Amino acid sequence: MSEAVKKDQPKVSVPTVTFSLDGQSVTVPKGTTVLQAAKDVGIHIPTFCWHPQLKSVGACRMCYVEVEKMPKLMVSCMLDAMDGMVVQTDSDQVRQGRKAVLEFILLNHPLDCPTCDKGGECDLQNLTFKHGVDDNRFDFKKARFKEESMTTTFDDKKIGPEIVLNRNRCILCYKCVRANKEAFGEYDLGAFERGNITQIDAVPGGEVCNPFSGNLVEICPVGALTNSDWRYKIRVWLTKTTPSLCNFNSSGSNIDFYKEDHQNKIFRVTSRTNDSIDDGWISDITRYGYQVINSADRLQKPLIKKDGKQVEVSWDEAINFIAKKYNDIKESVGRVCIGGLISPSLDNRSLYSFSKMIRTVCKSNNIDFRGDYRMLPNNPDSPFGVLRSQPFSIAEIDDSDVIVSFGSDLIHEHPNEYLRIRKAFNYTQPKIYSMMPYSVKSADVANIEYVYTPGTDETAINAICLAGIEENVVDASMATEYIKHVVPSTLKDASALCGLDEAELKILARSIAEGKKITFLVGEIVTRSKARDIITAALLNMNKLFGLSSKGQISILARYANSKGAEKLGILPDPIAPIKEALKNDFEEYPESEPRNTDGMMAHIRKEEIKGLFIVGSNPMMLYPDKEFIKESLDKLDFLVVCDLFETETTEAADVVLPLAGWAEYDGDYVNLEGVCQSAKQAVKPAGESKAAYEIVRLIAEKLEHKTFDVESIDKGVEACLAIDTTIKLPNEFLDIKAESEDVTGEFSHPIFIIDDAHHCGHLTEKAPSLNNFTAEAYLMMSEELAAKNNMQENDPVRVESEVSKLILPVKISESLDSDVLLIPRNFQSSPVTSLCMRKRRIDRVKISKVDE
Amino acid sequence: MHYSPVITNADIAAKDENLHLFQYVEDSKQCEIDTFVSRGGYKAWKKVLEGISREDLINTVKASGLRGRGGAGFPTGLKWSFVPKDSPKARYMVCNADESEPGTCKDRVLMERDPHAIIEGMAIGAYAIGCHLMFIYIRGEFDHCIDKMEAAMEEAYAKGHLGKNVYGSGYDLDMIVHTGGGAYICGEETALLNSIEGERGQSRMRPPFPAIEGLYASPTIVNNVESLAAVPHIINRGAEWYASIGTEKSKGSKLFSLSGHVNRPGNFEVPLGFNLKDMIYNPDYGGGMLGDVPLKGVIPGGASTPFLLPDMIDVALDYESLQEKDSMLGSGAIIVFNENTCIVWILKKLIHFFRHESCGKCTPCREGTAWLEQMINRIEAGQGEAGDLEKMEEVCGNILGRTICPLGDAAVMPIQSALRLYRDEWQYHIDHKKCMVKSNFEFK
Repeated sequence: MSEAVKKDQPKVSVPTVTFSLDGQSVTVPKGTTVLQAAKDVGIHIPTFCWHPQLKSVGACRMCYVEVEKMPKLMVSCMLDAMDGMVVQTDSDQVRQGRKAVLEFILLNHPLDCPTCDKGGECDLQNLTFKHGVDDNRFDFKKARFKEESMTTTFDDKKIGPEIVLNRNRCILCYKCVRANKEAFGEYDLGAFERGNITQIDAVPGGEVCNPFSGNLVEICPVGALTNSDWRYKIRVWLTKTTPSLCNFNSSGSNIDFYKEDHQNKIFRVTSRTNDSIDDGWISDITRYGYQVINSADRLQKPLIKKDGKQVEVSWDEAINFIAKKYNDIKESVGRVCIGGLISPSLDNRSLYSFSKMIRTVCKSNNIDFRGDYRMLPNNPDSPFGVLRSQPFSIAEIDDSDVIVSFGSDLIHEHPNEYLRIRKAFNYTQPKIYSMMPYSVKSADVANIEYVYTPGTDETAINAICLAGIEENVVDASMATEYIKHVVPSTLKDASALCGLDEAELKILARSIAEGKKITFLVGEIVTRSKARDIITAALLNMNKLFGLSSKGQISILARYANSKGAEKLGILPDPIAPIKEALKNDFEEYPESEPRNTDGMMAHIRKEEIKGLFIVGSNPMMLYPDKEFIKESLDKLDFLVVCDLFETETTEAADVVLPLAGWAEYDGDYVNLEGVCQSAKQAVKPAGESKAAYEIVRLIAEKLEHKTFDVESIDKGVEACLAIDTTIKLPNEFLDIKAESEDVTGEFSHPIFIIDDAHHCGHLTEKAPSLNNFTAEAYLMMSEELAAKNNMQENDPVRVESEVSKLILPVKISESLDSDVLLIPRNFQSSPVTSLCMRKRRIDRVKISKVDE
Repeated sequence: MHYSPVITNADIAAKDENLHLFQYVEDSKQCEIDTFVSRGGYKAWKKVLEGISREDLINTVKASGLRGRGGAGFPTGLKWSFVPKDSPKARYMVCNADESEPGTCKDRVLMERDPHAIIEGMAIGAYAIGCHLMFIYIRGEFDHCIDKMEAAMEEAYAKGHLGKNVYGSGYDLDMIVHTGGGAYICGEETALLNSIEGERGQSRMRPPFPAIEGLYASPTIVNNVESLAAVPHIINRGAEWYASIGTEKSKGSKLFSLSGHVNRPGNFEVPLGFNLKDMIYNPDYGGGMLGDVPLKGVIPGGASTPFLLPDMIDVALDYESLQEKDSMLGSGAIIVFNENTCIVWILKKLIHFFRHESCGKCTPCREGTAWLEQMINRIEAGQGEAGDLEKMEEVCGNILGRTICPLGDAAVMPIQSALRLYRDEWQYHIDHKKCMVKSNFEFK
């Protein structure tokens, strides 16, 4: 069991041991290693191969300690502390042992520190200075690896899109191989040969391109693995770090930006370990996503559309123009009919300012942060809203004995949570189940992967309940009541409808019923589905039937960096009552107008009832799953203001485009999916004349004579909102669920899901060159079987046609998919994949044909 | 039918009722199941399933005094008793047939010529720990052994000695013949388990010991071929009989692989405590030194054991007596070399082997063996420098007892002993830039 897992356990119930460590009496929970115990009391024991999140292997032999009555030196990373043990961490013998190990490691190490990027933050360098000798007794020629195809003397070998390997520097601690396999479940890196010619390398014919590959570089104790974005750019001692957060996932991975004082540029990102969130692992999107900020394509100045063409103007002119247009609309219609759409990746201050502007300046409830979801419910306490508001804790995954992931491709949506589940899989071996309409790689840790027919989500959940009833593992009177509310009402019918195996469903039902601590997480398949309310109602029924939330957690996970914050700050057309109350108090007014969400706004723009729209950071043209609908709506607008970091399809339609500062360019607070508010600090100055969203809002509001948009007033409002518990009470009654049926027209038969690529998130990451080195264009992902059936091979161009649009995409054959479901990433502007979708469809369907050249 | 031309003392074993392992090895029919059964084969296995309790079985093996024949000499019955009785996990019995210690070729003879004895021993061991799936991990280069074991396994399945509900007892037992990929380290039990799991053949740190957390993190017992082959005899003839063979502390008979400069190199079964001098000079065994060139030294227990000088060979071949001479019984591979052999040359060959076979996991062994090889090669080539011997001794000291598995120790123990026992010869190499004996070196 890892030290980290142990640390999280309550100390009271665990038996302890007391032993002597360098003369100090230390008491630790039984099973704690001597190394961990020493770390806890601040005694330094040097290590190379040890990592807090990996199982110890005792390979480097650096962590020797001397134990009384034990004849040999012991490796402390694998030595459990025992009662009465007398341990010396700095005796003569220990010092001699360490020196010997360092001597061995340095025998063939190149000592090319001046040209090595690890210099300055190298474990080997540091420990040699601290524990080594400055003499060299090795008088043979150092062994050298040479790559035939390379001409440099450094044996630089590219083993992945972003990783360069130097085998000569490698000290074979195997941390990279172990982390890749153990922590990430990836097998694209391995060790080859044996003895002193052992080498780390990508698997033959492959490359290290998994979504967590950057971590391998970060944990390398020497300069054997370096990433191509950092190497040869700057020496580490010339940089300073700024604590920040990942802007591309909802758990708020803690990171550090590396910057240099004289250049307004970020050099890299490393993890700023926070065990309650990320365990020190960050995904590649988190690691390389900072390049978005550095991009040369950033909007530098405001643009105004003049004679159909957007031209650069000053901020004054842009703000004046917006104020004039605002007054024009107000005068011509007699009221302000303006809406607002904001990105949930922005900070609290920006979100709150924006909401305040829409509600007090525009006097409207036309506001939403969910610009890429279709057919959202309007009422905040819909089943979806209820389940969405339930609390969730990442750390609780660690000691759950049953973990169910429903409708979530975790690696793509919630990489941190996936790694957390994987950790549980490695250490506490809970029962893990995955339920999805298509099979996913993230299910590799699952005991059983349930793949149900696309579009039958609520029936799949209903089937779990019915299986529980058949197995008699739920309360009988509740079961009788439950059956009255659902159609189909027998396990046989339900399992036939959703295509799941009855026996397997019974196993899941039994696990949920018998589990002592359950984590049930729900993902984007549900959030994005038009039928999200029915599916969630089924989940609420299941929750009630099994009493699940009373012994664990069930929640729909937030997807973006500040989605949870946006919900808590009431960036919704109709926030829940306590939030509304808080807003009323702070704003001293609250609009009476009809609340309209993204769909409502677009519909009313088409009816010309909304004349103007502010879009901040969102890109509905690219991401809303019905491109035509958005395009027609935006074309109808009298006035569109778009703030973004880049020119996008949405900014193209705008009358005014304002350059937005990125999250690294100002201080901001973000609420992660657990509801924890964390701060990101400014690392660099905003690019060009770009400004933070709250600054832009303040400029506009002040121009329109509204004075209370200063930072202090806004922060006060944010604070008041965040203090409110937004959890909505779970319903007491079972809800009626009737399975929706859908006719599949013959021609368009393949269900298609629009996903985020494993190395991209939303519309911004396309601007990070490192991430494009992994995936640079959209693809049509299909199962091997389907490809073979259609005689398609990897990278063949394929025509994808829906009823409304068609696209040509290269084929990508997936190892995990095994049905006729197709997946397309939405992250590439050049492939408008959302044009294939129709917003009123529950499942989008297409036909595919090979493009003959 | 293939037979490797190995000299054995089967004729003696056939007459001496205490020698049981080699009793029938010269009979080509012995590897056929009918012959094997007609000579009492699978009788012990049947007897066990017909009503010997696990505790009794383990106690019998404990009482027999049988110790692991792979090299470490750990009591077999005691090892079996370490498997937790209440573990909900599956248990595994693994027969270690990755015989690769230089000089050792005893298990090979058993596998080629008496494979059913091994299967029977494995089955009894499996039953003792409550295992339903047993493995035999055979060295990849042993083609004939693999063929023989697979054929024997199929026969055993066909005749109902393995499979579902063996002899109607309700006990299921399956067997897998697993072949290695040619790494010495996979003879080390934890590396062997990694290899079966499909991982790199690298040893694991202990604890946890395999009996608690071995194959697939489940309780696992790894036993040597020879140890298991002795088990059916213990069941058939009783622990007391077995314990009566050998010495006070080293009980039973043992196979020795005699090689080097002797007239009759081969595999010999003798009771433990047999005299080493007899082994070399007795006409029924080694038959004396080849060409009557005087003896220079003996490696008594496989390449990794310290040397014995000619005046030390009047010693009993058992665990304790060899330990008194600062050496080890090891796997029972006796390598004899005469005066025409250069000790530096021997060490050069040995360290080359160990450097090549070091798995690369832990630092001292991986780096140290390579450094030692470079130094020994240099001395052997007449380019040694003053201080090299002292440096070698220090490097050996930095490896000994500091590695994950015994490979590091195995590599340095012969070097340390050679440096101690033949110091003058090493020094001569360095001082005179040439070999002391090479001029009349004849052995190829």
